[in-house]
Amino acid sequence: MTGNFLIGLREGLEAALVVVLLLAYLNKTGPSHLAKRIWIGVAAAVVVSLGFGALLTFGPSGLTFEAQEIIGGTLSIIAVGFVTWMVFWMARAARGLGADLRSKVDDAAAASTGALVAVAALAVGREGLETALFLWAAARATGETWEPLVGAAIGLAVAILMGFLIHKGVLAIKLAPFFKWTGALLIIIAGGVLAYGIHDLQEAGVLPGLHNLAFDVSTIIPPASWYGVLLKGIFNFSPQTTWLEAIAWVAYVIPVMALYFARLRGGNSQPSASASGTHSAVVSAH
Amino acid sequence: MKLIQRAVPLALIAGLGLTGCTSNAQPSSATGTEAGGPIAVSSTDTECTLTASETSSGTVTFNVKNDGTQVTEFYLIASDGNRIVGEVENIGPGLSRQLTVIAGPGSYTTQCKPGMVGDGITQDFTLTAGANGTVDANRVALQEDAVKQYQEFVAQEADALEAGTGEFAAAFAAGNVAEAKALYPAVRMHWERIEPVAESFGDLDPILDAREADLEEGQEFTGWHRVEKDLWVTDASYTKMTAAERQEIADGMVTNTKELVSRAKEIEFTVDALSNGSKGLLDEVATGKVTGEEEAFSHTDLWDFAANIEGAKTAFEDLKPLLKGTNDELSATLTKNFTELETLLAKYEKGDGYVLYTDLTEAQIQELSAAVDALGEPLSQLTSEVVK
Repeated sequence: MTGNFLIGLREGLEAALVVVLLLAYLNKTGPSHLAKRIWIGVAAAVVVSLGFGALLTFGPSGLTFEAQEIIGGTLSIIAVGFVTWMVFWMARAARGLGADLRSKVDDAAAASTGALVAVAALAVGREGLETALFLWAAARATGETWEPLVGAAIGLAVAILMGFLIHKGVLAIKLAPFFKWTGALLIIIAGGVLAYGIHDLQEAGVLPGLHNLAFDVSTIIPPASWYGVLLKGIFNFSPQTTWLEAIAWVAYVIPVMALYFARLRGGNSQPSASASGTHSAVVSAH
Repeated sequence: MKLIQRAVPLALIAGLGLTGCTSNAQPSSATGTEAGGPIAVSSTDTECTLTASETSSGTVTFNVKNDGTQVTEFYLIASDGNRIVGEVENIGPGLSRQLTVIAGPGSYTTQCKPGMVGDGITQDFTLTAGANGTVDANRVALQEDAVKQYQEFVAQEADALEAGTGEFAAAFAAGNVAEAKALYPAVRMHWERIEPVAESFGDLDPILDAREADLEEGQEFTGWHRVEKDLWVTDASYTKMTAAERQEIADGMVTNTKELVSRAKEIEFTVDALSNGSKGLLDEVATGKVTGEEEAFSHTDLWDFAANIEGAKTAFEDLKPLLKGTNDELSATLTKNFTELETLLAKYEKGDGYVLYTDLTEAQIQELSAAVDALGEPLSQLTSEVVK
């Protein structure tokens, strides 16, 4: 029960966090129809994952191990690309916060309707297939015992609740720091997703070094423990991290973070485009 | 987590909606009928139990059930210990997941990882060749055929060598020079046909086949070439052996040949040993026979030459089916070059044997040498083609 609950929680959190941050961001800056695009992407990813998972679970054939890992790994890395693009796009939008905010965001978003859907779909979809396979296995086991499905469902529900609370929380934050820190958080999360994607490709044998560990703290932070699950679910932290993963994480997070803050400062230097402008500092959730 | 379950879509509905109606939670595994059937794996917190430790190669399915309380993972790892052939992760307690891999024959390791940490619970797993009638399985069969045929050839030549050596040694010991001289090149052909095998016994080869010029310090001059010298050298500076000395040399040849023959029959060949041996025989020709060094006193080098080529060709012919469809060009080239060399060599046949090396002109030696080189180059490509 606990094991399945924790898997549901972890997978749910991994998928939910990026979506929550994107949604919160758009709620602050854009008209509500932009948020709808996020939901379209999420819905598409969920439907495709569940359908594909069901097909692989119950259908006549499936993917080879390598193909599965390559798909998962590649999707993760593409998702990192999209999320990174989003972060910088939002940083740019933040500079446009002002009287003409809505039209500006609209202009920017008009060209990227598909991109917003894609960001959300990738953020959910990269974990979706794995989660769907797990859920179908749990569903199939219900003939023997309800526990796995109930555990997984509660885990997912808690993940969604946590997502909702975080959503509420970030909405209550003042506008200026909000932009700064959600963007930064997204970069750290994206770094974790990148490392996770690298690990998938290492397992598939596409990339080398699966057994060259940078560190192994799995005795201190067991992956099955609640804190291991949270670290994995939020930051994709793996207690057994290979050198290649660690290098990829550092090589992504540090330059992107530096660039991000440089961009924000650049924005603040332009009086008409300050993120801490005249707009209302606190926006209620709904 | 690549899963392939063949199951009735109804199982989905049954699983989701009609809980309690299906007592078997894995309807898929019951209908999944691969050759050999799926292997059931039970992973508990402390144990990893498989219903079989061996199955046939090709498509292999594991139904992994987590019978423990911790989340578990199951891996199939290649024998080098590094490459993951397949894995299912995130198997929650009470859940079953299926792993299907396509893998060739060989040794593998299975691994259950309850709690997803550490080295897990491992055990050896073997995939045996042949069940699926794949191209690879056919090649394995062809390789086995080639090896078996060559083994028979070696055994046959070894028996002939043992019998011939007995006759030759008896004639020599008895001082029957004319008979010994006649037997010498003919019996040696059995040796020369399987020379790479004989040479593989580093202790026996020098005793039986060392040339006087090649002796290392402390080595005694015995065997075929010791007898050759005694039979052919008429120089005043050379003292012929006494009857007792001849008997001793003859006895040594018989004893050591017997030992060599019994060992040669024990050798287990591989296809690369055949192709490398074939090339080795040709190198023997190029470095010893075509130069006239081998038979310094009898000058019967062309007998050895012919026997080496026969041995090389036998190995090639045994391997030839492995080239069919994969390198027909090499097969045709080698066939043609062997024939050309044999045709050339046939020009020097005389009676039951060949002309003496000393009867050849410089031009004729050059011509033979060129034909040997022409064959050696494509023959060196044979190994990489047959081990595929």
